Amino acid sequence: MKYLFIRERLAALTAQLTGLLRYQWPATLLWLTLAIMATPITHAADTPLIMGVFPRNKAVETTAMYTPLANYLSERLGRKVILATSRDFESFWKEVMERRYDIVHYNQYHYVNSAQAYKVVGYNQEFGKSAVAGAIYVRKDSGITSVSQLRGRTIVFGGGKDAMLSYIAPRFLLMQAGLREGEFSAKFAVSPPNALLALYHRQADAAGGGDILIDLPAVKNAINTQELTRLAATEPLLFLPWAVKRSMAPKLAESIQSILLELGDNETGKNVLKAAMTTGIGKASDKDYDPHRRMTTAVFGVQDTAK
Amino acid sequence: MLALDFLRLNDYTREVASQPDVVYGVIVNPAGMAISSYVDDTDALIKQLFRPAESKDIPKVLKTLENRDEVIHLQFPITHNTETLGRFLVGISRQSLQSEFYRQLIVQLAVLAAIVLFLSVAIHFVFRHNVLFPIRKLISAADDVGHGQFTRVETKSQDELGFLARAFNTMIEAIQRERAALHRQANFDALTSLPNRMMALDRIKLEISRAKRSSQRFAVFFIDLDNFKTVNDSLGHAVGDELLVAIGNRVQTVIRESDIVARLGGDEFVVLAPDIGNEIKAEELAERLIKAVSTPQELAGRKVVASGSVGIALYPDNGETVEDLMANADNAMYQAKSTRDGSAIFFTAEMNVRLRERMQMEQDLNLAAGLGQLTINFQPLFDTAGGRHHGAEVLLRWNHPEKGSISPATFIPLAEATGQIVAIGDWVLEQACRSWSAWHNAGIDPGFLAINVSRVQFRKRLSARIAELMSNYRIPSQALELEITESVLLDDHSQVAEELGSLRAAGLILSLDDFGTGYSSLSYLKRFRFDVLKIDRSFVNGLPDDRDDVLLVKAILAMAKGFDLKVVAEGVENQQQLSFLENQGCDRAQGFLLAKPMSEASYTDFLEERQIALIPPRLSAPLVQRTSSGSFT
Repeated sequence: MKYLFIRERLAALTAQLTGLLRYQWPATLLWLTLAIMATPITHAADTPLIMGVFPRNKAVETTAMYTPLANYLSERLGRKVILATSRDFESFWKEVMERRYDIVHYNQYHYVNSAQAYKVVGYNQEFGKSAVAGAIYVRKDSGITSVSQLRGRTIVFGGGKDAMLSYIAPRFLLMQAGLREGEFSAKFAVSPPNALLALYHRQADAAGGGDILIDLPAVKNAINTQELTRLAATEPLLFLPWAVKRSMAPKLAESIQSILLELGDNETGKNVLKAAMTTGIGKASDKDYDPHRRMTTAVFGVQDTAK
Repeated sequence: MLALDFLRLNDYTREVASQPDVVYGVIVNPAGMAISSYVDDTDALIKQLFRPAESKDIPKVLKTLENRDEVIHLQFPITHNTETLGRFLVGISRQSLQSEFYRQLIVQLAVLAAIVLFLSVAIHFVFRHNVLFPIRKLISAADDVGHGQFTRVETKSQDELGFLARAFNTMIEAIQRERAALHRQANFDALTSLPNRMMALDRIKLEISRAKRSSQRFAVFFIDLDNFKTVNDSLGHAVGDELLVAIGNRVQTVIRESDIVARLGGDEFVVLAPDIGNEIKAEELAERLIKAVSTPQELAGRKVVASGSVGIALYPDNGETVEDLMANADNAMYQAKSTRDGSAIFFTAEMNVRLRERMQMEQDLNLAAGLGQLTINFQPLFDTAGGRHHGAEVLLRWNHPEKGSISPATFIPLAEATGQIVAIGDWVLEQACRSWSAWHNAGIDPGFLAINVSRVQFRKRLSARIAELMSNYRIPSQALELEITESVLLDDHSQVAEELGSLRAAGLILSLDDFGTGYSSLSYLKRFRFDVLKIDRSFVNGLPDDRDDVLLVKAILAMAKGFDLKVVAEGVENQQQLSFLENQGCDRAQGFLLAKPMSEASYTDFLEERQIALIPPRLSAPLVQRTSSGSFT
């Protein structure tokens, strides 16, 4: 149908062009210029939106979790939304840097570093919470009662150095206690829960992670969390952000934000949230991520390398 | 462990420990501290030894289970390159292991049984396809052979069954060839290659069925060559055979395509002519047959002319069975032969009447001896000069209860034709011997007894039977004289010579009866030694007036003297005949002039009246006496 419509339109244009060229060529030239300028806009409106999700989970799991949301957005926007997964964090970040995604869901550190290119429109609400603090854990029997006692000790972090709650926030706490990089030995577990398990099994003297980590079922089922204690914690930090490309038409960006925020209002939206293993999406603005930006800057210095 | 991925270690431990027979799975670091563990709380032993909370205390669990026989403790080192990262401790329930062992054993046995079953089924089907099916085909083919159908068996395989099938096919081919040969042997005449009697009868039977359905007539022609025996005797059997072949071929050229000619045996042929239409057509065919038979043949460099008599029987007029048609055609042929050689005669109602009479007589004759209807009479023989009595010819009489006395000329040929003559002749011999013995025992010398014997009796070891009778009744050999007609001499010379030799060696007197009525071949007189020659009554009858008879009798007497034979004249009825014979030197005579045939009682009276004394044993001079040198005078 669309193709037929274009053909009819071209035929009409041809007829008009023929008439105009004969009598009013200056006006015709103007009209033609405007038509050509209008064509890309029409084309852009039909281009699918790319939704990128950071590889916190395996690609298969990511697809299962967020395809319902992509479909939901497609239906609501009347425009195709395609879910894009990444092989690893490096390739994901490369796509972010090159602004391949129209909509992106990543961690707070990613947003802080890409805020020039992307604008946050919402955040995940997990376990019924909107924010979580970064924390440092120790074994109760370790005798460690202050962060400064960790000097020269081994600290295990979950994930990598771009993990907001498992690395950047604990590092911020360590810095506040005067411990800079090199004044402690750092280990990295493959995931935040494993950092606590490593601590429990005495693989390190302390572990960094979100303050909700100790209450996670995966942790509580694996170890006796009563033997661990939280040594220090940061201020609450808003959860994982949802952002759109800053170059996106404002109306479209607003529509996306509106759809995300209203997910909890209907059954279909609730199922989408359930599939994404989140309890809701709250409204967020760039300012809400200033604490994250401050901690990141403290730990790594000024970054935001997105082009 | 290197990545501190304890969740994954837990998953691994849980996966291992969740196996049915695993009680616990624990990963310990080099210091022996458990860093990942899983204990099966559902295990019976764990339930028995620990409360739910205690099972989380891994060191205690390991310590407690350490010496328990119910658990088999295993440990596996965990290394990365050369670095030991820890150990994986696994406790396995012995009972579960045993249960698992038995379960596995049962499963494996079940699998093995299934495999065996599968293989058995597979072998069964392979065996069925490769062995049973071919064998069944062979059995079926063998059954077919049993039912006369020759079904070849496919021979694809190169194994023993293939060889068996090929051997079977070879056997079938051999049987077919043999069967064809047997069929030819059974249904075709070896000499002429014409259908034989069996096939002829079969074809006539088929033709009866066909003619009955289509209400048609057909004819059976019975052909018998006239005097074929003469051809054989004079030109030899090889020429006789050639003649039969030539006649068979010639007959085939004159019959229609639908007609069949068959050789019944000897010089007898039969022609079956289906759908003959009427008698005229049959007569035309009969004429062609006679002409074909009588066409001169060039055999062994000599021109041979044969003739044949043809008897014709029509279906359904002259019989509706094979037996009737053949018998009637045969009867008609005999009628033709008795009428004129080289003629053809249709079977008629009169023939049928005669045939029935003949058959009735045959049946009556069969019972005659047992019913006492047969008797023997005695006709004395005398010297022509002086009238001295020497003995008697034994004559057979048949007193039929309804038909009265039946002439031997009537029933003897019948008895010879049916073979009854053997029993009758034997009866006559025994009766004669018994009578002679009775007279002898009564002190009466009966002289000798001349007994007629048939050519048929000669074929049945006559000499042995006579020797037996002579022994049983203590009869001297000179007391018996055997009268033999020339027809005896027409049979197999070697057998006749052998029998005559045996009889002569036994001391019996041999007489050639009815001389002059048959072939009267002088060669017989030369070849076979006889003692007596009897002139037939037909020659005596015209004496002394009939010139031909006179010349003939004189010639016979002259010839007999030349061969040193005694001569007896039969049928002497008047004195002139007797005087003539006496004057011509005939030794003895018999006839109504001298004495009529008489019963045993009358002959006894005759003998007593003659007062012939018993001592010496042979008071009356025998016609032929044995000399000390063994020859007869």
